[in-house]
Amino acid sequence: MVVGEVAVETDVIIIGGGPGGYAAAIRLGQLGKSVVLVEKEKLGGVCLNRGCIPSKALIHTADQYQRLNDLGKMGIRLSQESTTMDLGVWQDWKAGITSQLRQGIAHLCKENGVTVVKGQAAFLSDDRIGVETDGDFETYKFEQAIIATGSRPFIPSFIKVDGEYILDSTSSLQLQEVPSSLSIIGGGYIGIELGMAFAKLGTKVTIIEMANRILPQIAENLVKEVTRNAKKLGVNIKTSTRVEKASVVDGHVHLHVSSEEQGMEVVVSEKTLVTIGRVPNSEEIGLNRAGVTVGEKGHIAVDMECRTNVPHIFAIGDITPGPALAHRASKQGIVAAEVIGGLPSAVDSPNVPYVIFSDPQIAGVGLSREEAEQQGYSVKIGKFPFSANGRALATNETEGFAEVIVDADSHILLGMHMVGADASNLIGEGVLALELAARVEDIALIMHPHPTLTEGWMEAAEAVLGHAIHIVNK
Amino acid sequence: MMEFKLPDVGEGMHEGEIIQWLIKEGEAVKQDQPIVEVQTDKVNAELTAPAAGVVKKIFFSEGDIVEVGTTIFTIQEENDVSVPDKGMIEEEIQVVQSGDVKVNAEHITTKQHHEVARALATPFVRQMAREMKVDIEKVKGSGPAGRITESDLKQFKENNSITLEDAKHHDNKIVQEMDQINDAIQAKGVENEWEERIPLKGIRKKIAEHMVKSVSTIPHVTHVDELEMDRLKEFKNQLKEYSDDKDIKLTFLPFFVKAIVIALKEFKTLNASIDEKTNEIILKNYYHIGIATNTKEGLIVPVIKHADHKTIFQLADEIRQLAAQAREGKLSIDQITGSTFTISNVGPIGGMHATPIINYPEAAILALHKMEHRMVVRDLEGVIRLMMNMSLSFDHRLIDGVTAVHFTNRIKELLENPIRLVVEMR
Repeated sequence: MVVGEVAVETDVIIIGGGPGGYAAAIRLGQLGKSVVLVEKEKLGGVCLNRGCIPSKALIHTADQYQRLNDLGKMGIRLSQESTTMDLGVWQDWKAGITSQLRQGIAHLCKENGVTVVKGQAAFLSDDRIGVETDGDFETYKFEQAIIATGSRPFIPSFIKVDGEYILDSTSSLQLQEVPSSLSIIGGGYIGIELGMAFAKLGTKVTIIEMANRILPQIAENLVKEVTRNAKKLGVNIKTSTRVEKASVVDGHVHLHVSSEEQGMEVVVSEKTLVTIGRVPNSEEIGLNRAGVTVGEKGHIAVDMECRTNVPHIFAIGDITPGPALAHRASKQGIVAAEVIGGLPSAVDSPNVPYVIFSDPQIAGVGLSREEAEQQGYSVKIGKFPFSANGRALATNETEGFAEVIVDADSHILLGMHMVGADASNLIGEGVLALELAARVEDIALIMHPHPTLTEGWMEAAEAVLGHAIHIVNK
Repeated sequence: MMEFKLPDVGEGMHEGEIIQWLIKEGEAVKQDQPIVEVQTDKVNAELTAPAAGVVKKIFFSEGDIVEVGTTIFTIQEENDVSVPDKGMIEEEIQVVQSGDVKVNAEHITTKQHHEVARALATPFVRQMAREMKVDIEKVKGSGPAGRITESDLKQFKENNSITLEDAKHHDNKIVQEMDQINDAIQAKGVENEWEERIPLKGIRKKIAEHMVKSVSTIPHVTHVDELEMDRLKEFKNQLKEYSDDKDIKLTFLPFFVKAIVIALKEFKTLNASIDEKTNEIILKNYYHIGIATNTKEGLIVPVIKHADHKTIFQLADEIRQLAAQAREGKLSIDQITGSTFTISNVGPIGGMHATPIINYPEAAILALHKMEHRMVVRDLEGVIRLMMNMSLSFDHRLIDGVTAVHFTNRIKELLENPIRLVVEMR
């Protein structure tokens, strides 16, 4: 520290301008606190710049591209010229979206009195933070701090991401050309989402997963439809398979993989994408100087108010234990801000919805059947297939089903899950129902608009009660 | 087998009353698990298991008075195999044999899930519960399938106006005392309806013993003086904005404590005691000020330790906390022992003067009385001033009347001229 340095004083300092950090900053601004938000790269964090938004833009593009093939069935004749994909143009389009969103966040921060500082922040003590920006060093003295530094892709030691042949999720979304072949290490949701999207754009995709199925965290019955569809798209799925070695030979990636069934084999592809999990960014921010305790896996444990072991320092988002999801980060950010603002706020719900933009989409909230049974509930299940829904047929999206899981004693909803078109939007009803502690009758008795996919929830709920209209009740 | 003898949990306590057994004979306990609640010198103490094992025998019933050093229960340690208890083991085996194990296991899981499952309530009701500082898991829902409604919360709050943590302990105690009184009234029958007889026990008995000891040992003399409080009041008012900013409710008491401590430093025999065994006078160079506090359970004297090292605001804060803890019956032994001088602030209730009884073995006690506007003579003219009396009872063995008057004069000088008080403060 420089002798005689003057620290800028602020009520709250937030490290990290992702969906958790900026939400906290804006809420604190609303509550009249002075806030400094430090971001080393771009506002919006992984979600906006390298994750949720760009990947959904790619997935949507791939869907549109693929849909052209189905149009003939509906009588649409395209000109004879074959359809092509210019990923370079797509990059510009994507940049437009992310930049518009970033400007929106910057504007909201400004309007709420948030000072945004670009730089790398690190704690100097439990009430000071130093921020380094292009060689300059500024110190800030704070009353409270929120750590929102997020996470980054985990890369195993035997692989080196070069951004050209071996990619992580970030660099895979920056490709200028559609690769002819792509091998994906990891069959989790990022691998499946991007794998299916590239497959639709014409890439020959191979997915290598160590577990015995893809999406191992998701209930098996929900994943089946996706596995079937991935195979239909030509995706080669290798489960119970591990990657032993990766090397680049003559402009191609050679992955040495082994499995009990196939033994050793080499998967050759133009590019490889590594998506086997994320690690929290808890190093290099001087947590020890602030006295903040970090767990074995680099996470910072917090209470329901998002407080760390140091009561005036909070942590939110991927750096805390739990699923690395933007909506969880935002919720925690708002709670941390409100607690700092003296409001009685808390993250007190176990209902963290999940959404997977596979084809078809998977989304859910609450307990799966297995989890409910493990917790000792006696469970009733209602299921309704999209193939019996008029709207699904009319839009040629008949794959999938809605499933509701109910406590047989009280009829309280325990979980709602869906695989099918637009499941990501439809799960909103599930989140609301679970949070309002609804009974299955509540869903069944509500008039759902027709013709929509939302009727799937109503029919699944009626199926639990034994009187669904559009399927035979067994 | 380990015998658990009633320990001396207070300073020089001789006996305790068994208030409540928290376990039953034959019950397995973990080390440090609370076993029995004992009432000692003015506080309740929870005694814990010295080792893990099975409680074999309980020797006293609730309500019994037990002398220190008496065995109150025995415990068979977990790893103590020397005396196997056949009866117990057989009983356990029988339980397993008689029931269908599978059914039992299922029953247990179902039960567990009901304990695990969280209270049914909407996010808004949860938020409301936090605002009302109500633990929502404790509220019984009246809505569909046991859902907790807004009115359930309100009702719960009304029925539980004492804070959640204290509620159980406190309620139990009050109920117990009321039961004792009711039992006593019933026992005497109808023939004596003009009088009531209630056993002298518990805290009231302790207070009685303490008072007798004090008065029979110490030759008490009481000296009374009056103070003019206008300037101190003005001074306190000037500090109001500052103390409000710090969120501290400033009363006169911290100023009194400060003035008394300054005077005690100059008149050392007032912060002293006599060791009757060795015939020595103990002059104390530390200033632990007891504040006699009225509670539902009787007079309790929480102690501000090292009052001379604390600021007015620190004192204010500590007094508030101690008083709250005293009222809730949550003071520890440490917080009510070791005072070197006691203040009895009866002013808020009323009264002109008193003959306070010294908190044995201290040398003096100062009672502060009601503050009121009185007509007084200043410069041969009648004027109205805010006046307060104080009564100092002192141990005439140690302190002469002249010393006592000099002592109160000094307090008077400091409180009537708050600027001098500030100058003398450390």
